Amino acid sequence: MDVPAIATQGLTRRFGELVAVQDVNLSVAPGQFFGFLGPNGAGKSTTIKMLTGLLAASSGSIQVLGLDLAKNSVEVKRQIGVVPEGMALFGRLTGAEYLNFVGRMYGLDRETAGKRTAELLDFMQLAEQPRALVTDYSHGMQKKLALAAAVIHGPRILFLDEPFEGVDAIASGTLKAMLQRMIARGATIFLTSHVLEIVERLCSHLAIIHKGRLVAQGSLEELRAGVEAQAAAALVGAHLGGSGATAPGEKLTLEEIFLRIVGGSRRSDQELSWLG
Amino acid sequence: MAGLILSPGMRGQFAAIARVRWQLFINRVRTIRGRLEVVARGLMFLGFAAAGLGGSITLGGLAWLFVSRGRLPWLAILLWFVFLFWQLFPVMATAFGETVDSSSLLRFPLSFPSYFLVRLAYGALEPSTFMGSIWLFGFAVGIGIADSRYFLWAAIVLLTFAIFNILLARMIFAWVERWLAQRRTREILGVVFFIFIICFQFIGPLVSRIGRSGHPEVPRIATQLLPYERALPPGLAAAAISLAVQGAFAPALGAFALECIYALAVLWLLSVRLRAQYHGENLGEAVARSTAPKEKRAIRLGWKVSGIPGPVAAILEKEFHYLSRSGPMLFTFVMPVVILLIFRLGPQTSAKQGNFLAHASDLAFPIGAAYALLILTNLVYNCFGADAVGMQLFFVSPVSFREILLGKNLAHALVLACEIVAVWIAVCFMFHPPGVDVTFATVTGVAFALLLNLTAGNLLSIYTPKKIDYGALGKQRASTTTVLASLGIQAAVFGLAAVTLLVARAFGRVWIAAVIFLILAGLASIGYVLVLNRADRIALDRRDTILAELCRA
Repeated sequence: MDVPAIATQGLTRRFGELVAVQDVNLSVAPGQFFGFLGPNGAGKSTTIKMLTGLLAASSGSIQVLGLDLAKNSVEVKRQIGVVPEGMALFGRLTGAEYLNFVGRMYGLDRETAGKRTAELLDFMQLAEQPRALVTDYSHGMQKKLALAAAVIHGPRILFLDEPFEGVDAIASGTLKAMLQRMIARGATIFLTSHVLEIVERLCSHLAIIHKGRLVAQGSLEELRAGVEAQAAAALVGAHLGGSGATAPGEKLTLEEIFLRIVGGSRRSDQELSWLG
Repeated sequence: MAGLILSPGMRGQFAAIARVRWQLFINRVRTIRGRLEVVARGLMFLGFAAAGLGGSITLGGLAWLFVSRGRLPWLAILLWFVFLFWQLFPVMATAFGETVDSSSLLRFPLSFPSYFLVRLAYGALEPSTFMGSIWLFGFAVGIGIADSRYFLWAAIVLLTFAIFNILLARMIFAWVERWLAQRRTREILGVVFFIFIICFQFIGPLVSRIGRSGHPEVPRIATQLLPYERALPPGLAAAAISLAVQGAFAPALGAFALECIYALAVLWLLSVRLRAQYHGENLGEAVARSTAPKEKRAIRLGWKVSGIPGPVAAILEKEFHYLSRSGPMLFTFVMPVVILLIFRLGPQTSAKQGNFLAHASDLAFPIGAAYALLILTNLVYNCFGADAVGMQLFFVSPVSFREILLGKNLAHALVLACEIVAVWIAVCFMFHPPGVDVTFATVTGVAFALLLNLTAGNLLSIYTPKKIDYGALGKQRASTTTVLASLGIQAAVFGLAAVTLLVARAFGRVWIAAVIFLILAGLASIGYVLVLNRADRIALDRRDTILAELCRA
């Protein structure tokens, strides 16, 4: 059996009295496009920060490519690429200088870093303003640059925290194409996003975190089957028809699965009658 | 102006704005820090009130003196003083802080007159307005006491002058705000401000020189400038009052009319600026997509520094890019040479009259070098401050903090080395070449002080980082803890240096100081290596705090 690309056991993070992430056991197989979902404040960013070394875990362990992150942090960091929440950009460098810098921080030689910088800038359509400082880039351009920096060393695992937030449709298409190409070449991608349509289209496997606890994990089909089985059981138990069930042959969307798992529902009962 | 009559809707909006500002104030005092700030502001208000009252009494007294003694042309000097304070103080006090984003108001359905009034009211209660108004009131009272017939006229003229000042201050602020909204213009303004500050330093020495030489050109130039002074608002306000006192009512009315025209012109300029804001001018900083055909530019490879590992060289290069793109930083680095120049330009007749370097020029190089080191501590003690969110990269990349700090320290040491060379050359030209023993003792002393500062700086950069922006002036200080610790280290360094120099002097050999400094540098280097080797563990243990401080918006 393959060593999981990412595995956590009892991962917990406390901020004083608040338990942001509690006893999370994750397993991501190599080559998976893994979506990590959860409502606001569920613990997604805290988890991804712990997995990438930006935050220390209060307890539990993290293995990346079979290596313990706490004991082999440098070796693990060499194998992973990260687009964190804040994008980790240096505002007063140009895009080319930044990519060159990141490449060399990951141990690339000058020539390779320069060559990959040129290719990435071209691919991400960032080569048009070579003198512009990163601080003057639009949000979408900064996102593309952060992603370019995360892949410049050819990581085996890529961690992306909300990579499509504030990115236009064209840039989003470019990013998706690149990510799918990486998956085709055997890389593992761990992604958090609020855009469920994108996650549904890209990710083969998912995990859902809610109030700091992992409440579901598996392939999209497994999650769907689980939710449908639960709904069916509830129907049988309550002898009710209609609500909660799906029509025969109709598949639940990821949004529906997500809402049923985290127990969210739109409040249609409370109407804002004064709205036009 | 019909739109300026407050409709019930406008009154409601003003009430809402006043209420939200009050609520913001109340929310602020909920925290201890907020309460301390309110107390500090209260103390500042008392200071301003005292200065306002004192100035008012002084100006009133002088106005009374000038009118009663018939020295009417002197009134203009007082009004020029009020004018300069009123206009310069708010720019100096607020120009380099964060400004109110007008777009936060524009999202509401505010009419232009409402917007105009709100913008006029924002900041109209600044200390300069408060103090300037009290001063002018005292001025009018002084004239009234000297001759009560002219009190009303003086009050009208001075009220117009006050309105002109308020409008002009708001107009200048509106333009400054526009320039501060964009990084490039903000940095240009920063550089202009810095040049202004540097030029200001030269006023004392130059005035002293001109005064001593009894320059015959000065009175002639002053006489030539007088007609221009009389054509400007402070001169016009003074003329309107003094001409009336002399019985020349028609010319007084003319001067007053011109003053009113100035006020209207400023009002118009202010409305032009505010109208542009109101119509949603685009001050976005995002680079525009180029429409020109794509030009393939070769990517410049990173620096190759022999004997230094790639990541350390990359950090070194990044630090130099950051420093070279910071106008304020570059200007800071020329300050040691500027200080030497100021000393050089000062009067040189007597050792008791300030310019001691003219008589102890051997000290010029050590003083210049020490000043260069002091300036550098600003960088050394908060070396991650400018990295902001980029700090995340240091934590996710496979590079140890030992290497990261080494790269940064190397950059700072190279900057200091360049400055020391520049200071040495400047001393050679301005005074005389320092002796070999003095040069060697200074360089070893700086090496010791640098190593000690880098050791402490590395620790404090990890323990108490503070986000700063190299591109901006003001509010760029390190944390209070860092500042205090830095002061302690400097005191220790200067204390040790003083003892070393005393020992060398007792033996009559400067070389002894160099040897002692070398030994001290050796000891400091042990501490430096120890800290460097533990930097990774300390940084990882404190990563939550570091990232929370540096990555905040």
